Amino acid sequence: MSNKNKGKEVIKIRSHKRFRIKRYLTVYRECVKVAFASASTYRLNFLLNCTIMLLGDIIFPLITVLIYGSGAGFKGWTVYEVLLIQSIFTMSTAIADMTFHGVMWVTMDMVRNGNMEMVLILPIDTMFILMARTFSFEGIGLFIGGLTIFMVALFNISAPSILMWLQFIALFIIGVLVMLGIALIMAAISFKWIGNSRIPEIFGSIRSFGKYPQSIFPKSVVFATSILIPVAMIAYYPAAALLGRCNWEVFVVILPCFLFLLFGIYLYRYMIRLYQGVGG
Amino acid sequence: MENIITVKSLTKRYTTYKRGSGFKESLKALFFRKKVPVIAVNDVSFNVKEGDIIGILGPNGAGKSTTIKMLTGTLYPTSGSIDVMGYNPTKNRKAYVHQIGAVFGQKSQLIWDIPPVDSFRMNKAIYGISDKDYDERLSLMSKLFMVEDFITRPTRVLSLGERMKCEFIMAMLHHPKVVFLDEPTIGLDIIAKNSIRDFIHEMNRRGTTFILTTHDLEDVEELARNVVIINKGVKVFDDSIENLRKVLGAKKIVQLILQEAVENIDIPGASIIERQSVNLTVSVDLDIITINEFMAKLSQQCSFSDISIKEMPMETIITHIYQSQIKE
Repeated sequence: MSNKNKGKEVIKIRSHKRFRIKRYLTVYRECVKVAFASASTYRLNFLLNCTIMLLGDIIFPLITVLIYGSGAGFKGWTVYEVLLIQSIFTMSTAIADMTFHGVMWVTMDMVRNGNMEMVLILPIDTMFILMARTFSFEGIGLFIGGLTIFMVALFNISAPSILMWLQFIALFIIGVLVMLGIALIMAAISFKWIGNSRIPEIFGSIRSFGKYPQSIFPKSVVFATSILIPVAMIAYYPAAALLGRCNWEVFVVILPCFLFLLFGIYLYRYMIRLYQGVGG
Repeated sequence: MENIITVKSLTKRYTTYKRGSGFKESLKALFFRKKVPVIAVNDVSFNVKEGDIIGILGPNGAGKSTTIKMLTGTLYPTSGSIDVMGYNPTKNRKAYVHQIGAVFGQKSQLIWDIPPVDSFRMNKAIYGISDKDYDERLSLMSKLFMVEDFITRPTRVLSLGERMKCEFIMAMLHHPKVVFLDEPTIGLDIIAKNSIRDFIHEMNRRGTTFILTTHDLEDVEELARNVVIINKGVKVFDDSIENLRKVLGAKKIVQLILQEAVENIDIPGASIIERQSVNLTVSVDLDIITINEFMAKLSQQCSFSDISIKEMPMETIITHIYQSQIKE
């Protein structure tokens, strides 16, 4: 192929990619609009769900306040430092609930009822469209709750530097990606383990290790929560970045986080092939 | 016309589990489950020509839906090959499904809480349809289906017939060359059925190929030019609808109301298949006697006040095909 033709080919591929990204963004925008329309249709249900989610997840940091109020606590950690970790966990969970946690429930439901065909006949990535279609505004209350505790905790610790903030943002995003990996693995399992709605509870329990300072756990647990199922990245490491407690080990943990996400994506794509539908 | 679909030795096997009923069996099934291999589709081959309407028929559990799901690329075949417009549905799925449409009568693409027009807009984004094409196609199909009045109402308040019309629009907005229909008229009243059949005819006239699975033999008689019959996963018939009618020979059904009851009719090639007082249903074999000759001989033997001549009912032919396979 001549250089001129190669150039044309590269331009064609780039323009195709640009078109694809634009199309995916348009689809996402349409899905957000639909989510808003659905939320506004059932206003009371929307408000109730927001409140229930907020109450359910906000009680946990309050327990921390009570523990510290009674004189107990986590050795080496002030109440505001622990609240910082837990508020980051709450915000991360809220973002996950709004943007991609729906993929878990909708996959379970579709596999069980044999409706997956309706998504598989669309010329778009199945994971993406399921995430987009299950976009939910209900996590917004939870996010605001988490953000409020985050602000309170932040005003009671030393002001982080710009570098710390940059580290925090990067690690927070990676933590959200770990949550995405967990959601995809759970969703993928439902292709084989049909109708088992308890799977998310198991992962929910494992995920809760990410709510605490890692230094309170034995080394084996820290290894598991940092390397095997890196739930520590959801809140602990981003908080550690803001607290100036980040050291070299954070760089060791980043790679397993990406591997975890890639494994989730691979497993989901592989398991779609096993979809069998239901009797007609 | 060229083949637009070529299916060769298509097979789908899967494993399911068997357990008895009752508490004891349920308890047993917690620890031991008997695996049962199922062959849903067994070595099925057929072709579909461009611009055709083909009906895939079969009793419940015959493998029709499994076949259509494999053709749409949503199920992976165990073996065999499928070629649709040069695509293998299981490879490069996204590019393939861009070229096809599908309507599953018992499942919905529409979003429940919002009006169909918003669901259409979602598909516009998914398929990357230009504003001009979208407006033209929506306007054309809305007129054909007369849905302008209700596409702006929430889907959940629409009747089944209205929803099904919207499902068709949803599946065809991107102007697919091939459309798969899995029992599209299930549960619909005759007016909605006719409206959908007219729509299919019109879109077929404009070049769309349809592959239709159904239990409704009227759908097949009204729409299909060619028929594939599958029973217990095996193809038992693959030919034109005209040849399907000739499976039991070239026969006509003659219904008579006699003025006086008769014992018998002695006409070669004619046999009474049902008798209720003065009402007679007679089967006439056209390979033995023409309708003209039959009528002449009939008037010599009896007098009648009413007569109607019909095709052999499709139910009879299909039942004969199913039952001959069971006997084999």
